[in-house]
Amino acid sequence: MFHFVDQILELEPGRHALGVKHVTAADAFVRPAAGGVQALLSCIIGEALGQLGAWNVMAAKDFSVRPVAGVVGEVAIAGEAAVGDTILLDTTIDSVTDDAVFYHAVATVDGARVLRLENTLGPLLPTEQFNDPEELRERFARIHHPGAPTKAPRFDGDPPQPFDLTFDEILSFEAGEKATAVRNLTGREAFLVDHFPNKPVLPLSLLLESLLQLGQKLLEGGGSRYVPTAASKVKMSRFVEPGNALVAKIRVATRTPGNALLKFRCEVEGSRVCVGEAAYSAVVGGRS
Amino acid sequence: MNTDTIYPKVREIVADVLAFDEEEIRRDGSLVDDYSAESIDFLDLVYQLEREFKIKIPRGMIEQEARSGLSDEEFEENGRLTEKGLAHLRAYLSEVPDDRFTPRMQVALIPTLFTVETICKIVVREQDRGEQAASS
Repeated sequence: MFHFVDQILELEPGRHALGVKHVTAADAFVRPAAGGVQALLSCIIGEALGQLGAWNVMAAKDFSVRPVAGVVGEVAIAGEAAVGDTILLDTTIDSVTDDAVFYHAVATVDGARVLRLENTLGPLLPTEQFNDPEELRERFARIHHPGAPTKAPRFDGDPPQPFDLTFDEILSFEAGEKATAVRNLTGREAFLVDHFPNKPVLPLSLLLESLLQLGQKLLEGGGSRYVPTAASKVKMSRFVEPGNALVAKIRVATRTPGNALLKFRCEVEGSRVCVGEAAYSAVVGGRS
Repeated sequence: MNTDTIYPKVREIVADVLAFDEEEIRRDGSLVDDYSAESIDFLDLVYQLEREFKIKIPRGMIEQEARSGLSDEEFEENGRLTEKGLAHLRAYLSEVPDDRFTPRMQVALIPTLFTVETICKIVVREQDRGEQAASS
């Protein structure tokens, strides 16, 4: 399942939407966090915000077009959402044209901000290229329940296998400097069933999470440990489809005691796929 | 308002959107050939310009204005510029070096001609339009 909006609480088509995402033991996109709890990947919180924005604009355009990932001016990571938490998703559309939607959004848990999206742009493309519009309408009807959030569904099964975000191969690695890695999209990845049924492509959120984790490894060493605090100027210029070998290049652009800024560029067959920057803060150590 | 006045801000936005240093941006630089702009960059650029200068840039504006005075048939044939259409476009995009126009070029490739100066001209035109609309 690659759907992360459990309920839409408020909807002003083309303007604003409020929704929720329950973080449960059924979530595959979790990782160990402080205190031994499992927390939802930050980029999946961003994905949930994007999906709420997408539901809003699709409903406003009668499901004739859908947004896809384009530009994220900034993703600011401020906290975590652990299993058992309910994330309140708040998305505001800044403008919608015939070819793109522009929005900003914030995710909170119990009133505390966990993630913020700014200057986000999604190109609008014909829905049929990606989904069956009728299936989307039905799904929308199932989650659009204005009012108070319903309770998280009970889950008694075995936790799903966490999604593997590592690259298939590290082609080069200079600790504290730069790295190049490759990931082959095989077409067998579970998320491709939903993203998207008519055109399976790698979600920007998962690509970004993989890059943030690779950058984290690059900064480790000498007793230092860094955590990502933001990604900015992230731009997806083309789709990564099954059969593509995605080459990611990441380098440390600036580093001060306590902070680091990394730049990344991803390519498929030499063509630009995604570029951006990632900011980190030292939680242990930190060197310039 | 003229293009000199707004150029510093346009240069800053172009550099930011296309991930170049401001010093690398030249006024006659081609967005596509020199700065590798792709379609997502054009969307991003238009949005940033609209926000900064509080204007609306109609999609396909250049093409529409370049063909003004010409019928569709006079401007293009099977998606390619006619000789007359090319002459019209060349006059309209006077800031673009001559050698970038090619006979029978595809209409869809018109944005590949755009320079940073073209963007400045678009902004000034839309600012003027906005002022005229406000005063009428």
